Amino acid sequence: MQFSKNWLKEFIDIDLSTQEICHQLTMAGLEVDGYEDIKSKITGNDSIIKLDITPNRGDCFSVLGVARELAVINNLKFSLPKINKISESFKDDINLKVCKDGPIYFGRTINNISLKSKTLPLIAERLKLSDQKLIDPVVDITNYILLELGQPLHAFDRQKLNGDISVRLAKEKEKLILLDDQELELDPSCLVISDEKEAVAFAGIMGGKASSVTDKTNSIFLESAFFKPSIIRGKARKFGFQTDASIRFERGVDYEIQELAINRASSLLNSTVGGEFGNTISKTIKNQLPKHKNIEINLNRANQILGTTIPKKDALRFFKGLGLSPQSQSENIVVTSPSWRYDVEIEADLIEELARLEGYDSLPQVSLSPVYKKGKLKPESLISDKLVSKGFNEIITYSFISEEDNEIFGQEPNTLKVENPISQNMAFMRTNLISGLVNTCSYNLNHGQENQRLFEIGNTFHLRNNKKVIETKVVAGLMTGNLALDNWNKKSDEVSFYDLKGVLTDLTSLFDDTYSLEDSTKAFLHPGISASISYKNKEVGYIGTLHPSCLENLGLKKNIFIFSLEIDSLKIKANSKFKDFSKFPSTSRDLAFLFDRNIDAESIQTTVKQSAGKFFKEISIFDIYEGEGIDPNKKSVALSVSWQAMKQTLLDSDIDGAVDKIIKSVKKDLNGELRV
Amino acid sequence: MDLDSLKQTIIDIESRAISNFDTVNSKSELDDSYRSFLGKKGEVNLLLKSLGSLPQEKRKEAGKILNQLKSALESGYAKKTISISDQNKQEKLNQQKIDITLDGFEDLKGSVHPVTQTINDICDFFERMGFDIESGPEAEIDYYNFEALNVPDDHPAKDMHDTFYLNNKGLLRTHTSPVQIRTMEKAKAPHRIICPGKVYRKDSDLTHTPMFHQIEGLVVEEGASFSQLKGLLNDFLEDFFGEEVELRFRPSYFPFTEPSAEADIRWKKNWLEVLGCGMVHPNVLKGVGVDTKKYSGFAFGLGVERMAMLKYDIPDLRAFFDNDIRFLNQF
Repeated sequence: MQFSKNWLKEFIDIDLSTQEICHQLTMAGLEVDGYEDIKSKITGNDSIIKLDITPNRGDCFSVLGVARELAVINNLKFSLPKINKISESFKDDINLKVCKDGPIYFGRTINNISLKSKTLPLIAERLKLSDQKLIDPVVDITNYILLELGQPLHAFDRQKLNGDISVRLAKEKEKLILLDDQELELDPSCLVISDEKEAVAFAGIMGGKASSVTDKTNSIFLESAFFKPSIIRGKARKFGFQTDASIRFERGVDYEIQELAINRASSLLNSTVGGEFGNTISKTIKNQLPKHKNIEINLNRANQILGTTIPKKDALRFFKGLGLSPQSQSENIVVTSPSWRYDVEIEADLIEELARLEGYDSLPQVSLSPVYKKGKLKPESLISDKLVSKGFNEIITYSFISEEDNEIFGQEPNTLKVENPISQNMAFMRTNLISGLVNTCSYNLNHGQENQRLFEIGNTFHLRNNKKVIETKVVAGLMTGNLALDNWNKKSDEVSFYDLKGVLTDLTSLFDDTYSLEDSTKAFLHPGISASISYKNKEVGYIGTLHPSCLENLGLKKNIFIFSLEIDSLKIKANSKFKDFSKFPSTSRDLAFLFDRNIDAESIQTTVKQSAGKFFKEISIFDIYEGEGIDPNKKSVALSVSWQAMKQTLLDSDIDGAVDKIIKSVKKDLNGELRV
Repeated sequence: MDLDSLKQTIIDIESRAISNFDTVNSKSELDDSYRSFLGKKGEVNLLLKSLGSLPQEKRKEAGKILNQLKSALESGYAKKTISISDQNKQEKLNQQKIDITLDGFEDLKGSVHPVTQTINDICDFFERMGFDIESGPEAEIDYYNFEALNVPDDHPAKDMHDTFYLNNKGLLRTHTSPVQIRTMEKAKAPHRIICPGKVYRKDSDLTHTPMFHQIEGLVVEEGASFSQLKGLLNDFLEDFFGEEVELRFRPSYFPFTEPSAEADIRWKKNWLEVLGCGMVHPNVLKGVGVDTKKYSGFAFGLGVERMAMLKYDIPDLRAFFDNDIRFLNQF
């Protein structure tokens, strides 16, 4: 809300700089968005003050409300503007009917008005300073009252109303065309103002087109009513629009101000458009009005919570200024909530009022004492440290992805979707982290970064039975480009599957147990260069190179290697325990075999391990050769096998037997021929 | 030859030999010189052979001084040998000199995302204060995101959060506050928890991204007071920025705290809002079965990206989610 500073003078005699007023308001919880000093021909040296009002303070959606706050803060006298009563020249024949959701209705007919007359200069200027468009003198005055007193008014063309007026719930599918030409289909959750024929206004929100004031209008029916917040709330979201009236009604309008508002409007209309005034008619259902609540506050407790020593007399003064009519009762104070404060309901609300008027800044400040807590392992930090030490950059990408990416990388039949996404590119909740990594890689390739190592740790979302969401925490990484930066001395090799597998092995050294790889069935991975990762026969991730057609779709030329692991399925290794190692030398032998090409490294290693005897230490494959000089269906694999004993130096005679066994087993189990 | 002339000859040989050793520059020259004095046919040997012409009684002394000459020359030779070898090594090292200004070979640089670093920094402070780190789901339900936090359906406060709704009737949490409720449901008071995580709001412009990170803190203890809240946040901000910060508290509104406050810090002359906080609303505590006669509580929430932007002087919020490697490598 924005308003002219000088308007406040209708209520309080305030003589403070705009800067000071703005500071006071901000520190009282009415945040000033900004202010601008202006010189006006009509209001003189003035300022425009813009307020950002929190939803609990509906009472401050008016100049009156702001003035009341300033009066308490500065201990000023607060008074309502003087109103000249307009005498009535005829009795209205309209009967009013109200209901529990709209329990107060004041109305007044004014005949023979002159819409040709101009809005009073002061009113016009104040409306302009509030960024309110000028329409016609009648609408301008209703807008003026809304800004000044916080009471939304509405003016109907009297001649377009048919008979009696009632406030009622809309019928199922009842149609209403509003002032701004939109046609709504209402239902019984909506409140309307109705004549004997049809709904003429969407109560508390907007008037109807058919009964609106036009330049041909010469008789109006003015409405000043109270509608309960509960019946107005939710309508903005339901129909997709808010109005100045609905914002106020849904937060709560003072339920004792309707008569004042219609009188103030009458007085201003009389001096602008003139006309003959009917009597003010009204209907109220008293027992449907919000209640003045009696609330008790224990000052000791309040002081304890605030860490203050506010004396009772100050508390009484604060509450009185706020219109809370405080009564002292031994230890406690009992207050009565005023008709304009919907946010004062319980003791805590009164504690806030005390704190606000005492000034949050002057409340004492004490340090909280630390308490010992046992430290916990943080798997994510350990994983992150490991990958960063391997040259990986951590990235953070949005949890929602595009439908296209979901099709390529998601591969889950029923996925969690955002019903109201920012854009269609952000409509699907990710089921893995791959699309974020690949898109980031693509972005960085476009910015000249050829060598990339990226990782992300984040949640993925899986929908079960269209209802339950399983969130799984995942770490996923990507490698592309070269192993290292090229330099003046040498050009670096391109990254391969085995480089990423090395990273994975190092990363998983953090966990209990070791992983095993099996063939992967992920459609976005190269079927020959990919694997699923399992721990204890449970699949927890995958590793591989992106499928060539996937790369092609994305317009990528270089191979991209990725891995993904579910973090929560893995157990971080407890503290390492020292394992003794041998102080005696180890002995090794190199052996080369011819195998069928489909024999894999794991089988060879297993066979060798099992036949190498009790002193076996390790085996490594140091060369693989296929091609010239060798049967095209065969490959030559060179192994280095080593042995070591804890308590002795091994002799050739200890090893020779083991080597013979290896050669025999390799022949028997794998049909491998020793090359001599 | 008599003894005197022998002594004279010895002095002469010694001075010639030493000066000769001095002047040579290479091992081979030195060896030549050595041979000319100490070799089989060298001057010293010739002199030795001439000793026979001396009278018997002088021979002993002559032998002695001749041996002195020999050892003087041997030691001169040895010294020079070492000196030549040292010189050779030095020359060899000089030839191995490289251009030390050429670039070193760097490994690819890894980095932790600045948002993660900021979360770690913040959690580190609160862990030292005895807070447990808690987390909760990002795909939430209305109850935890709103209702249990004292935000009734259709309340205007709900409009403060532009919520993303999901096709399972759930929503993406708009703040980390649901973790408060889940934690208090699980365990009995007292509580000191800190909950970092992703949150989502339907908002996208220069200063808003539809996903961002928040950290929520909650203390529920006997005697928890607003002045402790002020003190804790002041200590935290000082710890985070590594220097004293000017901090102010002003009233605000959150449905789940009462009194509620917003904290601003003085930043380059202006007041800048950095966090929201307040005493936990009694309705929230009662809703999870906390005895409000015994316990009171306070809570606070802050935006991680905002804190990171201030700390690292990052001008554009969206940089966090572009993940440009040139950006990431700076942290």
